[in-house]
Amino acid sequence: MTADQILAEIREANLSYLMLAQSLIRVDTEQALYRLGISEDTAKLIGALTPAQMMKIAASNTLLCRFRMDDDIVWGLLTSHGKAAANESVNRLHASILLAGRHQEAA
Amino acid sequence: MARNKSILTEARQIERAVTLIQLGARLQVLESETDLSYERLLRLYKEVAGKSPSKGQLPFSTDWFMTWQPNIHASLFLNIHEYLNKVSELDEIDVVIKAYQLYLEQTQSQALEPLLSVTRAWRLVKFVDNGMLTLTKCSCCGGHFVTHPYEIAKHYVCGMCNPPARAGKGKLAGALQIPPAPGRVAADAAAHAH
Repeated sequence: MTADQILAEIREANLSYLMLAQSLIRVDTEQALYRLGISEDTAKLIGALTPAQMMKIAASNTLLCRFRMDDDIVWGLLTSHGKAAANESVNRLHASILLAGRHQEAA
Repeated sequence: MARNKSILTEARQIERAVTLIQLGARLQVLESETDLSYERLLRLYKEVAGKSPSKGQLPFSTDWFMTWQPNIHASLFLNIHEYLNKVSELDEIDVVIKAYQLYLEQTQSQALEPLLSVTRAWRLVKFVDNGMLTLTKCSCCGGHFVTHPYEIAKHYVCGMCNPPARAGKGKLAGALQIPPAPGRVAADAAAHAH
């Protein structure tokens, strides 16, 4: 991947993310807060962005969104590298419960 | 209860009631959460659901939430509910509706049977409000799970970190399953052969 390609792909990903986030927020703000894991203030800002603003924000060399989990437990559950006893769908539910319990970052 | 005079408020309540009926709520939930009269709710129910509401008492026991699989479903719902509660300012019943919709999506995406009905979900929130049930942190994974309030928090281990012996052995479609350990498969096969 050349540097130009990298920049183009990042811009693309950022733009898709912003557009998805905005439509989620416009459909149902509260549920969007859960889906996106952002605060109400951030949601208000994203909801009010114009297309031109989005294009500008998206054009960057870094991604706008990042992972919501940074611990071994959730990663282990999602990739099923953890315990062998439980099966995949139990692990995924387990991961969802753990992620849903983390509202400190959003609030 | 004083009848609501505002048409706007009433419209909002009808909308809420319709959403609840579509989610499968029992009539008692609607009666408790709206100011609409019993007769109107009954008519609304028949119109939306196309059938008469089920009769009889609501499930009243907290024990259901303690069994392995229901506990996982209830914990997922309640965690979502708490999340919405923390990040937004909604009426109590709207939090239940929105959290329940998100819970349904989650089970659908994993092709699981949504074990927790909206009526049970609503009851669960009431149980928690009354201090009959609570969320306790698992000492192993750090997740929060539905438990009785007198659970010793320091030593609590959730049903997913430490599944009970018979957990996940049900054969129902859409149920959570834990495959038996490799050694057991041969033994089971042998048992079936006879």
